[in-house]
Amino acid sequence: MEDKYAIEVKDLVISYRNLKKTSIKRNLLKFQRQKAEDFIAVKGISFYVREGEILGIIGKNGSGKSTTLNALAGIFSPDSGVIDLKGHSISLLSIGVGFQREMSGRENIVLSGMLLGFSEAQVREKEQEIIDFAGLGKFIDMPVRTYSSGMYSKLAFSITAILETDIMLIDEVLSVGDQKFKKKSYNKMKSLISNKDRTVVIVSHSLSTLEELCDTVMWMHDGEIKKIGDPKEVLDEYVEFMEKS
Amino acid sequence: MFNKFKQDMKKYWKYAIYSTKAQLKSEVANSYLNWLWWVLEPLCFMMIYAFIFGEVFQQKEKYFPVFIFIGITLWDFFNKTMLQSVRIVKQNKPIVSKVYLPKYILLLVKMGVNGFKMFISILIIVGMLFVWKVPVTINVIYSIPILITLILIVFGFGCFLLHFGVFVEDLSNVVNIVLRLVFYMTGIFWNIMTKLPEPYNVYVGKCNPIAFLLSSMRDCVLYGRVPHRKLLLLWFFVGLAISALGIRKIYKNENSYVKVI
Repeated sequence: MEDKYAIEVKDLVISYRNLKKTSIKRNLLKFQRQKAEDFIAVKGISFYVREGEILGIIGKNGSGKSTTLNALAGIFSPDSGVIDLKGHSISLLSIGVGFQREMSGRENIVLSGMLLGFSEAQVREKEQEIIDFAGLGKFIDMPVRTYSSGMYSKLAFSITAILETDIMLIDEVLSVGDQKFKKKSYNKMKSLISNKDRTVVIVSHSLSTLEELCDTVMWMHDGEIKKIGDPKEVLDEYVEFMEKS
Repeated sequence: MFNKFKQDMKKYWKYAIYSTKAQLKSEVANSYLNWLWWVLEPLCFMMIYAFIFGEVFQQKEKYFPVFIFIGITLWDFFNKTMLQSVRIVKQNKPIVSKVYLPKYILLLVKMGVNGFKMFISILIIVGMLFVWKVPVTINVIYSIPILITLILIVFGFGCFLLHFGVFVEDLSNVVNIVLRLVFYMTGIFWNIMTKLPEPYNVYVGKCNPIAFLLSSMRDCVLYGRVPHRKLLLLWFFVGLAISALGIRKIYKNENSYVKVI
């Protein structure tokens, strides 16, 4: 069988070094230079994701999972190393593409869609489907700042879920909105994920979700890959490790 | 870099236009009279300045209210965009931290919004030219290259403020002070050429691009004079250079913005 990679990551390093905010006032009052804080979030990891594969990433808080995901989405640039998406379109299905608070939900749908690389016409075509899925009723024409947090995340989820991209990155969105929407979004996500052509990377703390959905699980610890492979094996070892420490 | 810029503009200009329209619309939607404020605000300031400087300080300029209004129109566009560009990345955090877009697009959207308001003011100026019976000559054509140069310069400076605004927390305070200085050095309600003593008037009038563009604009619209064409061309190229450098600066650093905000 021929393996086509959708994502190829090589020696990825991401650090937060030298990026401390400064203020003119502080520099005037204090004459010694502030020490640059050196924090390396991801320490040279390499991995591949095959086309159509579902990769889960697990690890304790601060182990670099979300940083990796953001780097894949192109929001962070790697300090060194290469991320090759082989020309696939990609979207981060977290709590949504950002909204402009003063604008209506409908306008935000178009704006978000355009930021994800769709044309206005393409978004318009799917607009009704998104509105129906989000189930916001007449609120869709109200400014987003009037939304409750549940409505906000429902709309955000619906936009990224209905405007499908080749690669989807999912950051802990398995629980959005009320009980009913949770079920709906979970089912939608499952159908999105199980589409054979779609490559998916999920970051989650839920062991059962990862075991159920993923083909491969990657365990990250302190910015390094501790283990990558069969979900059951990796997850068992992860649980054991977490209980011990 | 130029190719990347071209590609990105092709990809995002529709977003920029849609976003500009949506922002203008949302400003109107909040209160129906908001668009009226786009007209009323500069008009009121014009009346205040005309009263204080025309009546109290006895300034004598031909067509004084129009003279002031042209000043306010161009100054507001510059001033608002500068102030907003310092905070623009932080303000758009929800977008910047969720999806990639070239950050100068955010600046372009703001410039679109402010530019539209400037456009309305310009329409008012046209109306005022009729009311005050200003003899308009063919030299009014020069207002177009003057506006283009202004836009380039604003964009160039805006790019740098956008970049440094991310890393320097209290930059907006400094920008506020500097802008106030520039405001008085620009001559919104006086003619720097006649009011400042020699040779400082020439220094300020030529080295402060906003002052230069402003007085050129008045020259060609109100007094039918040809502006200093060589200097205008020079500032056009300076604006182009600053813009190119600003775009380069943003491209080099924009991916680390989200780590800081």
